[in-house]
Amino acid sequence: MKTIFTAAAFTLTATLACAQAIPDAVTEPVTITFYNYNLASAGNGADATRKMIAEFEAANPNIKVEGVPVSPQDLATRIQADIVAGQPVDLSQMTFAALGFASENLGVQALEDIIPQDELDAHFEGMVPNGLELGRLGGKTYGLAYTFSTPVLFYNADIFREVGLDPEQPPKTWAEIRDAGMKIAEKTDYLPLATGIYGPTALDWLMQGVINSNGGSVITKDRTRMTFAEPESVEAVKMLRDLAQNGITENLSITAQMEGMASGQTAMYLQTSAIQGYLMKGAKDNFELRAAAMPAFGDKPVKPSNSGSALAMHSTDPVKQRATWELMKYLTSKRGYTIITSEIGYLPLRPEIVNDPEYLGEWVKDNPLLEPNLAQLKDLSPYTPLPGPNYLQIGISMMDAMEMATFGSDDNVEELLTETQDRTQRLMP
Amino acid sequence: MSDTTPDAVTRPPLRRPRPRTRATKAYRAVRSYLYLLPAVACFVIWIYGPLAEAFMLSFQQWNLLPTSPKVWIGLDNYRNIFDLPKFWQALSNTWYYLVGLLPLAVGLPLVIALFTQDLPARSRNLYRALIFVPMIVPPVVAAAVWRWLLDRNHGVVNLGLQALGSEPIAFLSNPDIALWTITFITGWKLIGFATLILSAANASIDGSLIEAARLDGATKWEIVRDIRLPLLSPTLMLLVLMVVLLGAQWSFAYIHVLTEGGPLGSTTNIYYLLWQFGFGSLAVGWSSASAVILFVGFGLLAAALFALKAKVTFHDD
Repeated sequence: MKTIFTAAAFTLTATLACAQAIPDAVTEPVTITFYNYNLASAGNGADATRKMIAEFEAANPNIKVEGVPVSPQDLATRIQADIVAGQPVDLSQMTFAALGFASENLGVQALEDIIPQDELDAHFEGMVPNGLELGRLGGKTYGLAYTFSTPVLFYNADIFREVGLDPEQPPKTWAEIRDAGMKIAEKTDYLPLATGIYGPTALDWLMQGVINSNGGSVITKDRTRMTFAEPESVEAVKMLRDLAQNGITENLSITAQMEGMASGQTAMYLQTSAIQGYLMKGAKDNFELRAAAMPAFGDKPVKPSNSGSALAMHSTDPVKQRATWELMKYLTSKRGYTIITSEIGYLPLRPEIVNDPEYLGEWVKDNPLLEPNLAQLKDLSPYTPLPGPNYLQIGISMMDAMEMATFGSDDNVEELLTETQDRTQRLMP
Repeated sequence: MSDTTPDAVTRPPLRRPRPRTRATKAYRAVRSYLYLLPAVACFVIWIYGPLAEAFMLSFQQWNLLPTSPKVWIGLDNYRNIFDLPKFWQALSNTWYYLVGLLPLAVGLPLVIALFTQDLPARSRNLYRALIFVPMIVPPVVAAAVWRWLLDRNHGVVNLGLQALGSEPIAFLSNPDIALWTITFITGWKLIGFATLILSAANASIDGSLIEAARLDGATKWEIVRDIRLPLLSPTLMLLVLMVVLLGAQWSFAYIHVLTEGGPLGSTTNIYYLLWQFGFGSLAVGWSSASAVILFVGFGLLAAALFALKAKVTFHDD
């Protein structure tokens, strides 16, 4: 029954989209909904998102935006449920990994079908081409690149000074992290290193970056064979195990990691730059927070993975489509990215604003935190999504095994990973 | 008096038996079932229907989204689950939860109920009210409070331990301890309820039996052993049954808020795992298959417990 309703809703969508042209401006009051995961997070951008919505509403008095906070892992199900229930869904902050699914199942509209091409071109001008490309499926823009982050190594410069490490020379490799960590562990009670590699919400996005940086991968490029028990991956996990065994890092929940770093109890924290705003709040008047690039394995090139989201339009009504597009334009404008970068910590996908004193120019001078994140943009190796209907089970099994290999009592990393690799291979499509 | 003698004229005429048509016969035959219908319908709609559906889903692959198809994959879900080390870990953890809960949710309340019985009424009520309080604290609130209490660095419990010269204990992040921490919190929450039930059963024991025993020179302990315990046995068995069949489920909120099944899967149990399958990774097939396994396993356990209950309980008829 539900299937029929949904199918009917989508058919209606398609008919309406073809039948009516979008107006040039919003002339009457209209309310649109914005399903957003930054709004659902505690410190991670909820305030900044509310601020952007308020600014947009002030500039567009006819448009009212209703923010709907949904955590990223619930987004697809929630939107599906709301569409079936007849709730209006106009705009969503969709992760790149879910965009393909959303375009096929959740009624996401291609911008080229709705917005006049010259208007699109004018807006895309100045945005990072790689970012825009991630939102395109079959040549059409289903997601407008919105938030974008890479893993960076945050560190507490005061703790570095306290133990005699040079905060100007943050560790560049995992070996240097180990040395610095040993020094911190010997002289203080601080936790030397926290990482966002493990944890229910991380799945394998950060782990892929770590293993790729050692020249390995968790899965082959054609996504047919799991490779996380190959020597490069095993070596990377053994390195993490060595850190754990020496008390340099601990198995902490993401909340504990973030609280530890923000309260000045942790020396180094490898995590998405998206939590920068949260850490800065904790660091203010407390300690000096700095950031460095993701650590390398010896002299091998670092291959940071990206995480991020696009703005996907679900509206079917032309007036709402216009209102939604106006909001999308504002969020990805120079002003939008100024707020997103300075208050949340995502990358500005309009890089020119970094040197523009009207936007981020002044802020960047006072906050060098952004630099490693920006510099990593060119080395980015896109996250490889795991395949098939069991992709989450594969990812969870793999991460469980790696977590066990890092923090468990069994020393035989290779055997554990090989056994799990064989098992997950059987779940592949 | 005339009105006390039934008068043949005012007495209503004997009703002639209604002609037995086919319709009334049929009506008589189904009438009793019609009375049963509402209750049976509730069972079918809310219990047996979903049960059958879960059974069907356990042979299918589906991600919960109404637009995506359900694919028939035979026994694959079961094979994948039995293949998964985490499933066996969750199963053995479930066992530890049950073993750990019994003394807290049955043993301790029994002792409390017996000992508070002879207190003066006012202090007995106060004492039992205090024990009952955890029961009315919402589980998620209780979990959050316990998280603060048990925090390794700033928690009151660890500050106390440190004052006594002990090292701080990682109650929730040490894989060897976390399971017992969650078991304790679940049990702590149940003490009040079990005490209430046992106190009520204890209070309803016929006072004359106790009096008679006392006259015969029975000691306090002999009264407990030979009179109170046998008469409490149906209630005790009921509590054991509830704890064994439902106890691990009651730990769900604490697992979810405090550890999410970690560290290293040490606090996950079969209920939490099947929730994670279903709503964490939207694998309804996996979730239903583990639910069916759970249903069969606990069904057998329940049958065994009922047999035991019939054997060991004593009723004062």
